[in-house]
Amino acid sequence: MASPTSAPVGIDSPELRRISEQLGSGVLSAQEFRGDLAVTVERSRWLEAARLLRDDPELDYRLFLDLCGVDHGDDESLPERFECALHLYSVSRGHHVRLKAALPEQDPRIASLCGVFKGANWFEREAWDLFGLVFDGHPNLTRILTHDDFVGHPMRKDYPIGKRHLLREPRRNLFEAPEDGEQLLVNIGPSHPAMHGTFRVQALLDGETIAKCDAEIGYMHRNFEKMAEVRTYWQIIPYTDRLNYCSSFMNGHGWALAVEKLLGIQAPPRAEAIRVILSELSRIADHIVCIGTNVVDLGGITPFFVMFRAREAIYDLLDACCGARLTVSYVRIGGLAQDVPGEFEALCRRALAAVQDVARQADRLLTENPIFAKRFRDVGVMPAEDALSWGWVGPCLRGSGVGYDVRKDHPYSGYEQYDFDVPVGAVGDCYDRYLVRMEEIRQSARIVEQALERLPPGPVIVDDKRVALPPKSEVYSNIEALMNHFKLVYDGILPPPGEVYGYTEAANGELGYYVVSDGSKHPRRVKVRPPCFNIYQAFPEMITGGMLADAVAIIGGLNVIAGELDR
Amino acid sequence: MVDPTRFAGVHAGGDVITTRLDALVRWGRKSSLWPMPFGTACCAIEFMALSASHYDIARFGAEVLRFSPRQADLLFVAGTIVDKEAPILKLIYDQMPEPKWVISMGVCASSGGFYRSYHTMQGIDEIVPVDVYVPGCPPAPEALIAAVMKIQERISAGEQQKQPQGANRVGASGEGAHDRRARRQAWAEDDVARVSQGLSPRGELPGSGTERG
Repeated sequence: MASPTSAPVGIDSPELRRISEQLGSGVLSAQEFRGDLAVTVERSRWLEAARLLRDDPELDYRLFLDLCGVDHGDDESLPERFECALHLYSVSRGHHVRLKAALPEQDPRIASLCGVFKGANWFEREAWDLFGLVFDGHPNLTRILTHDDFVGHPMRKDYPIGKRHLLREPRRNLFEAPEDGEQLLVNIGPSHPAMHGTFRVQALLDGETIAKCDAEIGYMHRNFEKMAEVRTYWQIIPYTDRLNYCSSFMNGHGWALAVEKLLGIQAPPRAEAIRVILSELSRIADHIVCIGTNVVDLGGITPFFVMFRAREAIYDLLDACCGARLTVSYVRIGGLAQDVPGEFEALCRRALAAVQDVARQADRLLTENPIFAKRFRDVGVMPAEDALSWGWVGPCLRGSGVGYDVRKDHPYSGYEQYDFDVPVGAVGDCYDRYLVRMEEIRQSARIVEQALERLPPGPVIVDDKRVALPPKSEVYSNIEALMNHFKLVYDGILPPPGEVYGYTEAANGELGYYVVSDGSKHPRRVKVRPPCFNIYQAFPEMITGGMLADAVAIIGGLNVIAGELDR
Repeated sequence: MVDPTRFAGVHAGGDVITTRLDALVRWGRKSSLWPMPFGTACCAIEFMALSASHYDIARFGAEVLRFSPRQADLLFVAGTIVDKEAPILKLIYDQMPEPKWVISMGVCASSGGFYRSYHTMQGIDEIVPVDVYVPGCPPAPEALIAAVMKIQERISAGEQQKQPQGANRVGASGEGAHDRRARRQAWAEDDVARVSQGLSPRGELPGSGTERG
């Protein structure tokens, strides 16, 4: 990559000093770009470095975020073609770090981190599937997103984007049942009401108890990351909408912030305030779907009908802003597509009233309902330490008692101005996760009210010719604006070479975009750090040893969204 | 208010109605469609909106959602179908009893949408017949209601379900701009040529332990 590589001594960072002290010559280089610390280590020291980051009390990076491959193609400025990038976070010190290692084209091998972080398992399988990176010591390095008849590694730069392979025969069994016939192998999904069409779980039942369980994903792998490599930074916005489609505005918000971080610009205050309002309403809408469908899966239809009324009110607001109900594509790099309509405030207040009403009714229907509590209490307990190792974030992590919320710990878009609380659970069971979501609905409504009170006037897109289209009146009346418009549409946004990890608090937790730019109009690599991927990865282990019926209660409460899980 | 006794076949002040049996069966069928939502993606969320209180699909007699294909006669394919999911969709369709109808909801199910990529089926009519295509990403619930009404029209007109448009086809729809068979063929030949030269197929590297798995 073309970003400047400086010697470790050039960066004033206590984290880097500590890593260099411990690893010595194992640290090859380090970069600091837009506040992100990236450390490149020798690949033979990969495992040691990851252990150090986790266990050293002065580093304490215990929250596993992401692990991915990067293909730099034929970039001459880099020593090797492939790179493996690991993102970690320290909850106690509030710091992100990126650990990288270069892998040669002919032998892309590196040590597996499965023994260090539980969450690394599926990420390494994904890196093998998509890039062909080999992780030594991985217990089950098989395809995860693509199907069994797939040939090649599609995210490599020399793989044609549209080259498909037909799946002739789907895999019947994820694992073999023992011969004695006492236990029953049950396949659940992907076409199953509780599995939402895209997850597959196979459980070995001993009576009604799950003795062994495995999950398969990839039934919605529609290649967001590969498509992003042939699109300009703007054109990626509609694709981000379809990651977590229950709250699509927040994905676009996160994407815009990541690219703005890469460009070093900031959206004007009015745009940021509107983004916060719509993001929080999207969070409410997301939690409504999560709770509503969770209860439908358990057999209670009424709360779903009641709660969807508030969602319709939020849809009306989004519809008025941008003409779309669900997949909004309303943000732009540097601001918003257009200003909000005149009735914005009235529609917001209507949506808020509907939300308050729904929250009250949900309390009566669910929170105080003994049957519901019996299905949820002490079911699917996740201890905090395991949750961090799996890489859980968002309401699920907070349900386990870790109060990490990006809005509080790393405020963006002006969240520091608003007064709100971050609810945390005590036990880490389904009921705690439900209560955290309910409380977040109320807290989000509080934020929206505050933001509405002090919605600043002004423009909604940054005044920067590199990223913002000139107003149409200018385009039609003067040649500079016309040329500017043409160049921007034709060439797209051209960010500087470099790599950033932009992260926001989406409805399911920290949604990160790891963007590698080579200075051209297409990103070289876009990796979504999908909250659901980590969360669902823990699911087979969570339900093993429990009742089959509890599995249905657990999966609904995790709010796994296929668009984000499989991308 | 229309006087029902004015219609042919209505006798005794409306107490007795004579009609043809198949007209009665069609009327019953169109007024009690049992949909099976095969929802995979964003469209499934709009399908939820359709079945929830505001749009209320029950007004059209199609509110009895069944998650077993054996109890359904209308298949809603709501969302992107990828190559890994395709055999499952085919199985679900085959398990539905006749007569059956299929609505392809949204552009992903209809044509692959803007996912023209290595793992996305370019339209479900590669594997199952489609009666009504609903454009949109995702379509608004009103458009879905229109699709249900189209199916009802077809039922009352006595039309049979459509035959598979492209059951034997591999790849995208038809000749012309979207035809990818030529490119697919070229890739396959390219792979063969590379292997014969001792190279590995594209996207794979030799001797790195990254063979097909």
